[in-house]
Amino acid sequence: MEPAEQFSTASITLEQLSKDFGGLLAVRDVNLHVEAGTLVCLLGPSGCGKTTTLRMIAGFETPSQGRVRIGEEDITEVPPYARPTALVFQSYALFPHMNVFENIAYGLKARRTPKAETERRVGEVIGLMELTGNEKKSPPQLSGGQQQRVALARALVIRPKVLLFDEPLSNLDAQLRVRMRSEIRDVQRRLGITSVYVTHDQEEAFSIADVVAIMNQGRLVQLGTPRELYRQPADRFVAEFVGLSNVVPVELVETRQDGTVVKVFGQTVRSRRPPRDPAGSLAMVLRPEALQIARAEQVGVPARVRTLSYIGPIARYRVVVEADGTELIVDHSNPGPDEFYPEGTPVWVKLPAEVPSLLSQPG
Amino acid sequence: MATRSLTWFDRLDKQNRYRMSLLAGAAVQVLILLVVASQVFDLRVVEDYRTTVGNLETIHLRRELIGDPILLALVVVGMALPFTSSKLRREPVLLVALQITIAGLVFFVVWPLGQVFVEGFKAAQGAAGFSLLQFEKLLESPMVARASINTLLIGSTSATLATMIGTVVAYTLTLSDIPWKRLLRVLVVLPLVSPPFAVSHAFIMLFGRRGLITYDLLRITGWSIYGADGIVLVQLISDIPLVVLILMAVFSSINRDLEDAAGDLGGRPLHVLRTVTFPLVTPAILSAWLLSFISSIADFGNPMLIGGGFQVLATQAYIQLIELFDLQLGAALAMILLVPALVAFILQHWITSRRSYISVTGGARTGFIRVLPTGLKVPLFGMTFVLAAFTILVYGSIFVGALVRVWGFDFTPSTENLVGLVTAIPQLRNSLIVSIGSGVVGGIIGLIMASLVARERFPGRGILDFSGTLMYAIPGTVVGIGYIIAFNAAPYFWTGTFFIIIIAYAYRRLPVGLRTAVAAQKQLDPSLEEASLDLGASRIRTFTQITFPLLSRAFFAGVIYIFIRSMTDLSSAVFLNAGRTQLYTVRMFRVMVTGNPSEAAAFAALLVVIILISLGLLSRITGKSFVDLFRV
Repeated sequence: MEPAEQFSTASITLEQLSKDFGGLLAVRDVNLHVEAGTLVCLLGPSGCGKTTTLRMIAGFETPSQGRVRIGEEDITEVPPYARPTALVFQSYALFPHMNVFENIAYGLKARRTPKAETERRVGEVIGLMELTGNEKKSPPQLSGGQQQRVALARALVIRPKVLLFDEPLSNLDAQLRVRMRSEIRDVQRRLGITSVYVTHDQEEAFSIADVVAIMNQGRLVQLGTPRELYRQPADRFVAEFVGLSNVVPVELVETRQDGTVVKVFGQTVRSRRPPRDPAGSLAMVLRPEALQIARAEQVGVPARVRTLSYIGPIARYRVVVEADGTELIVDHSNPGPDEFYPEGTPVWVKLPAEVPSLLSQPG
Repeated sequence: MATRSLTWFDRLDKQNRYRMSLLAGAAVQVLILLVVASQVFDLRVVEDYRTTVGNLETIHLRRELIGDPILLALVVVGMALPFTSSKLRREPVLLVALQITIAGLVFFVVWPLGQVFVEGFKAAQGAAGFSLLQFEKLLESPMVARASINTLLIGSTSATLATMIGTVVAYTLTLSDIPWKRLLRVLVVLPLVSPPFAVSHAFIMLFGRRGLITYDLLRITGWSIYGADGIVLVQLISDIPLVVLILMAVFSSINRDLEDAAGDLGGRPLHVLRTVTFPLVTPAILSAWLLSFISSIADFGNPMLIGGGFQVLATQAYIQLIELFDLQLGAALAMILLVPALVAFILQHWITSRRSYISVTGGARTGFIRVLPTGLKVPLFGMTFVLAAFTILVYGSIFVGALVRVWGFDFTPSTENLVGLVTAIPQLRNSLIVSIGSGVVGGIIGLIMASLVARERFPGRGILDFSGTLMYAIPGTVVGIGYIIAFNAAPYFWTGTFFIIIIAYAYRRLPVGLRTAVAAQKQLDPSLEEASLDLGASRIRTFTQITFPLLSRAFFAGVIYIFIRSMTDLSSAVFLNAGRTQLYTVRMFRVMVTGNPSEAAAFAALLVVIILISLGLLSRITGKSFVDLFRV
C-alpha cells in the first residue's frame, strides 16, 4: 500500500479572514497561504485567535469577512460536513458510545461507503496507526496516546484534502507529547497531506512545522520558518514569545551599505539587515546563548551575577549590567569545573559583533 | 499536639488509655442498645387467669414482656456489621456514627417495609405464620387485578408521554435559540414543587363538570375530565418538569466537540442527531422515564380527586385500609404496588451507575446554542409555550378561584374563603411542626450519612448508599401502611403522634437530604478535613469546626427541600395523622373532595405561597437561580 497516492491534497488560502464575536475581534484580517503538502503551525498565546482561525477552516465558525479556499475552490459558505477537511480535536472527541472500529468508521458510514470498502480502509488506517488489536475496545479503555492515534486515524480514513489539528497533544504528559508529535509529523510527511496545526507551545511548533505563523491579538504577526522566526523576529512580541531573549534598546550610529551599526552598553554591534522602520527607536534581540560570560578576560560589559541556575548542559545566569542596572540572561554552555560564578561575582559579558536583525519599536 | 493542653486522658499511660477507650466504647454500645430495647420492648400488665369464689370473681394479673425481638436482633446484627472492618474499629467516632445510621435505617426503613410483606403473606389478619392463601385470594380478586393493571397503564402512559414531551422541551430550553428562554424555564419547572393534587383541583375548576372552560366558555356537556385521561393529563403537568430537569442537565453538558467531530467527518445535522446526540442522552432518557413512572404509580392525590372511580393500587389500598378497615388487604395492595416501584428504581440505579457518557473533561466545550431553522424552531417554541401557559393557567385558577365566592356557580369576588382559612390554623401549625421537624432530622441524618458515604471507604458502603436512596422509590402509601403495621400496636402506639410523622417524612425524604449533602461533600476538598486531622483535631472537632461550617449551606438547603416535600405530602399523611395531629394537606384534601371549590382553592393558594417563600429562602441560602434549585 502506498497511501500517498490515495490522497489528493490541496493548498489552503485564507484571504483577509476576520471573525467578530459580537464586538470582540477574535481574528483580524488574516492572510495565509499554505502550500500543498506542507504543515503550517499557528502559534500564539491563548486567546490570540489561532483556534478560531482553524475552526473557520473546518467550517464551525463563519467568517465575518474574508474567504477560505482549498485548492481553487472557495469553501467559505460550505457547511462543515461537506468540506474536504478533517479535524483532530484537543479533547479527541471520540464517541464514547462507539468502539474504536466504529469511531474510525464513522466518517465513512456518514458518506455511505460500501461495507467492504469501509472495512478495508479502516483496517488500513488501523495498521498505519499501529492500533491493531484494539478495534473492539471502547475509548476510555485506551491510553492517552492510543486515543490520540484513534482520533488521527478517524480523521485520516476519510482521506481529507486538508488535515487540521487543534492543540492535539495538550492532554498528554510531556514524554508522550514528544513521541506523538514525531509520529504525527511522520504520518503527515508520508501522506504528504496539507496540514494546519494549532498550538501554544513554541517547542512543539518549531519541531513539527515547515512554516510557523505567529498570531497575537487576532493578527498574524509573522510567518516564517522556525529559523527565520528565531533569528529575525519581526517585533518584540515575537522575539519574546519565541525562545528566551534580552530585548535591549540601542542607539543608531550609522547606516551603511552592508548593514547598520548601533551602540549598546558602550559597545558597537552590527546588523546586516536594516531595521524595518529606521525612524522609530531601535532595539536589539540578544539571545542568551549569543552572549558570553567571563571573569578573567576583561572584555565586554561589566556586570554582576544575580542568580545562577543549572539547566543540564548549560549554566543560566541573570546578571545586572553595572552601568545602568539592565538585567540580562546569559547562557553558558558546557562550563568547565572552575567556570561557575556565584551570586555577587563581578563578571564581564561579551556581546556578539553582529546580530541578525534589529527591532524598530513604535513610538 | 504539643501545644494543646493535656487532659486527664492524655496523662494516662498508653495501656490505661487503651483500656479507657475500650470501656467507653462498650458503654456507648450498651447505651445505644438500651435505647433501642426500651422502644422495642414494653412491660405490660395483662390478665392471667380468673378465679371465681362464690359470686366473687378475682382477676389475676401478671406482668408480660411484649415487643419485637426480631427487630432487636436485626438492629444488633446491623450494629455488629461495622466491627468487621479493621479500619472502623480504630475509628470509634466513625464506628458509632455508622452504627446509629444503620440502626435508624433498620428501624425505620427495613422493618416497616418488611412488615408490609409479612402482613401481606399472613393467612388472616392477626394470624401468625406464612401463607399463600391471602395471595391466592388476591390473584382471584377482580378488584386487585383491575387496580394493578390500571396502575401500570397509567404509570407507563404518563411516563412515556412525559418523557417524549419533556425531552423535546428540555432540548428546546437548553440548546435552541428560542426567545424568552429564562422565563419559560421557570414556568415549565415550577409545577414540580406545587402540591400535586392542587393541579387536579385546578383542572377540575377549569375542565370539570362546572369547569370555567368546559362549562362556562365552551358549554361542553357529556364529556368529563374525570377518569384515566384526567389522571394522565394532571400527572403530565408534574412529570414533565421532572423529565425536563434531568435532560436539561444532560443536554447542557454534552461535549460540543463530539457533535462537531461528527459534522466534520461528514455527518449531516440530522445524521449527527441520530448517531451521536441521541445515543449520548439515551441513558438519561431511560432514567427519566423510570423516575416519572415511579412518581406516577405512587401518585395518590390526583387519582383520588380526578380519577372518578378509576381505581389504582394507591387509592385502593387507602380505601381498603382507612375506609373499610381491612389492614391485610391494604398491606397486600401496598406490596403489589411496591414491586414495580422497586424494579423501576433498581433499573434506574443500574442505568445511572454505569459509565456515564456525559463527562466533563478538560477542554470540552458544552452548552452550545444551535441555530435552528425556523421550520423547526416554531413548533418547538409553540410546544414549550403551551406547557408554560398551562402552569400560568393552573396557578392563575388557584389564586383567582380563592378570591371568588363559589367557583363554577357564583363568581362574585370575595375574600370570605381566604378569611375562612383561620379555621385551618391548627392543621397548618401541625404541618409546620412536622415539616420543620422532619427537615431538621432528615437534614442531620443526610449530612452524617453523606460524610460516611462520600468520604470513607468501608465494607458495605455501597449498600448504605443504596438504602439511603431507596426510600425515593417507595410510594408514600406503602410507607404509611408499613408504619401503621409496624408501629401502631404495642409496644409503640406511635400512630397519630408527631414523632412518627416526623420520622416517616425524615426517612422518606432522606434521599433528598443525602444527595444534597453528598454533592456538597464531593465539592469539598478532602484535604481540608485531612489537614484538620493531621493538625491533631479529633474526628468530632473536625466535623463541627471544619466539615459542618463548610457544608452548612447544603445542610439548610436539604432542610428546606425536605420541608417543602413534607408540606405537600398527602399519601403518607392520610395514614399517619390523627385528629390531634391532622395535617394541612389532609384537611385541604377533604375540602377538595367535599367542599366549595373556592374554599379548596384558598387552601391550595396558601400552600403555594408558603412553598414559594421557602424557595425564595432556598435561593438566598444557596445563591442558585430559581431553576437550578430543583436540580437535586
